[in-house]
Amino acid sequence: MWRFLAESGAVFAKDLRTEFRTRVALNALGLFAVTTLAAVSYTIGPYRIAENDRPFLLAALLWIVIFFAAMAGLDRTFVKEEDTHTAPLLRLSADPLVVWAGKLLFNFVLLGVLIAILVPLYMVLMGFRVDSTAGFLLVLGAGGYTLAVTTTMVAAIIARAMSRGALFSVLSLPLLLPLLIFLIQGTRAAVEGSAEGVSEALRAVVSLGGVMTVVSVVLFPVVWNE
Amino acid sequence: MSRPSPLGTVLRWGLFAWMSLVIWAAFFYAPAAAGFQGQSSRIVFFHVPTAWVATLAFLVSCIASIRYLRSRDPKEDIRASAASALGLTFAILATVTGSIFARIMWGSYWNWDPRETSITFLLLIYAAYFALRAAIADPERRATMSAVYAILAFVTVPFLVFVVPRIYWSLHPDTIINTQGRIKMDSRMFQVLMGSLFGFTGLFSWLYSLECRVEGIRRRRQHEVL
Amino acid sequence: MSEGVRLEFDGLAKRFDLRVVFRAVSGAAEPGEVLAITGPNGSGKSTLLTILCGLLRATRGEVRYLADSAEIPRDRWRKYLGIVAPAMSLYENLDALENLRFLALVRGMRDSEARCCECLEAVGLDPARSTTVRGFSTGMHQRLKIAQAILHDPPVLFLDEPGSNLDPAGQDWLEELVARERGRGKTVVLATNDRREMEWGTRRVALSG
Repeated sequence: MWRFLAESGAVFAKDLRTEFRTRVALNALGLFAVTTLAAVSYTIGPYRIAENDRPFLLAALLWIVIFFAAMAGLDRTFVKEEDTHTAPLLRLSADPLVVWAGKLLFNFVLLGVLIAILVPLYMVLMGFRVDSTAGFLLVLGAGGYTLAVTTTMVAAIIARAMSRGALFSVLSLPLLLPLLIFLIQGTRAAVEGSAEGVSEALRAVVSLGGVMTVVSVVLFPVVWNE
Repeated sequence: MSRPSPLGTVLRWGLFAWMSLVIWAAFFYAPAAAGFQGQSSRIVFFHVPTAWVATLAFLVSCIASIRYLRSRDPKEDIRASAASALGLTFAILATVTGSIFARIMWGSYWNWDPRETSITFLLLIYAAYFALRAAIADPERRATMSAVYAILAFVTVPFLVFVVPRIYWSLHPDTIINTQGRIKMDSRMFQVLMGSLFGFTGLFSWLYSLECRVEGIRRRRQHEVL
Repeated sequence: MSEGVRLEFDGLAKRFDLRVVFRAVSGAAEPGEVLAITGPNGSGKSTLLTILCGLLRATRGEVRYLADSAEIPRDRWRKYLGIVAPAMSLYENLDALENLRFLALVRGMRDSEARCCECLEAVGLDPARSTTVRGFSTGMHQRLKIAQAILHDPPVLFLDEPGSNLDPAGQDWLEELVARERGRGKTVVLATNDRREMEWGTRRVALSG
């Protein structure tokens, strides 16, 4: 177990170090998120939505911005390994699950950084306020994890295919559809301060994340070694 | 090449007769359901079976995908892709018939109610599945990646079908077996619907076996080059 | 992993859609042997090597790794082999030592630091250990790739055009390295069109175009 953690930690640290030196993924994610946010804020603005619709619409817009930013950058970690021809040596050196865990952690942290920047901006620009901060943070955490675990798997698949940019969104979107709905409902409940609504959405998000984790552990080695 | 067996010929003519009977019965034997606009309810005899076949095809494709990953037998890959091709066709048919009905009943072609979302999900999955297949040149890799994707899609289905409707609202008429487990349908309508479901299932298995044979022949020809 | 590994492959064929790379290629290599794979450009030497090291599935045919006549399962091959190939690179944004350190870490090697330095010295990259690989010449990159292949002292060594981009001194040194590994009971598989490298082979598989 310690060995597994140390080895996945090495993959994560390697990705973090190369990302820190190039900032390819973070730039892709961050710029996309900020541009979309600016566009949303400019066209819709904070007070153009009727009071009744605000919790739902603001929650929906927030998650759509996060999802689209994720589509723009979360495949980088695998695509870069293929593009720079480093994937074969990684494949021969590391255990598949070690690679999976390291890359998943990297994507999760990347999303975390994105959310940490985006959400405060969103609150300022869109006048977005939540009643239950704890609930909102839980939804963000669980949602970020499930989003990362799903896209990590899809990224591993598309990295081995041609015309990858478009393929990543096309393949991810259907798998993320239920998650998107759960997260919007959970966030809306957090905005309205409904603990029951938050916990119902959280249960759905966590079980989806759990199922995806189990399936990834079984199938990632198959994809990676193909 | 084997000649068509006598049994196959009998079955095909039987299917033809059965489907003709179903079409006749749908218009002349079954009554129009109360509470629906005019004769619009008759579409149920075609809409429900196409949706059923789209779902069945998805199931067949997933089972073949799992079997492929276990056995690495190219025949299973042929089965998976043949079932998906048919599934895509029937999913389109179900979507079109459904939205015609929606236009008549609720005045708009599309409402994003959970069942429409489910069928859209199937459509998106099938589209993504074929986009992925088209993007991988290596036949073994193509088979593996698309099998993994089909399984990933499969595990998200329960969330979409069972969890999303609990969190979202629905306009869709109750499914045949409703929550009380009682059949709320005129008995003659029910007979025709069951007959149609049976006929469409037969139609699917016939088309499926044809598609598998065609794809098998195509691959054998490619192998002759080898 | 001191015991030798026998490598066998039988009736290998590879097809990418409609393009057939090769059909029915067979061969074997014992510990202490150098198997030279030759053939014109596009005859599938590199493809054959990627199949032999388990990175690609053959359309038909079988590959076996045998240690004391017991077959090693496919998912464990990677522990028994090292490879140098033109299509496999190291991380450009890391320096030489960071690259080796990373690969040693994910291989779960103990006392990796000393071994990494030893390998860098062996390929003559010791002075450039803290230079980012992006700043390497092609020859230096080739040397680092060789260091990476011998890092974990594997019983099977795949070398795909190993002498390309090496200066004459480097080629001499490579010849010594191959002879030394052979002498230590390693199985070496060499894909090359270089006349000099071909002569290192004790067995030969010739692919036709």
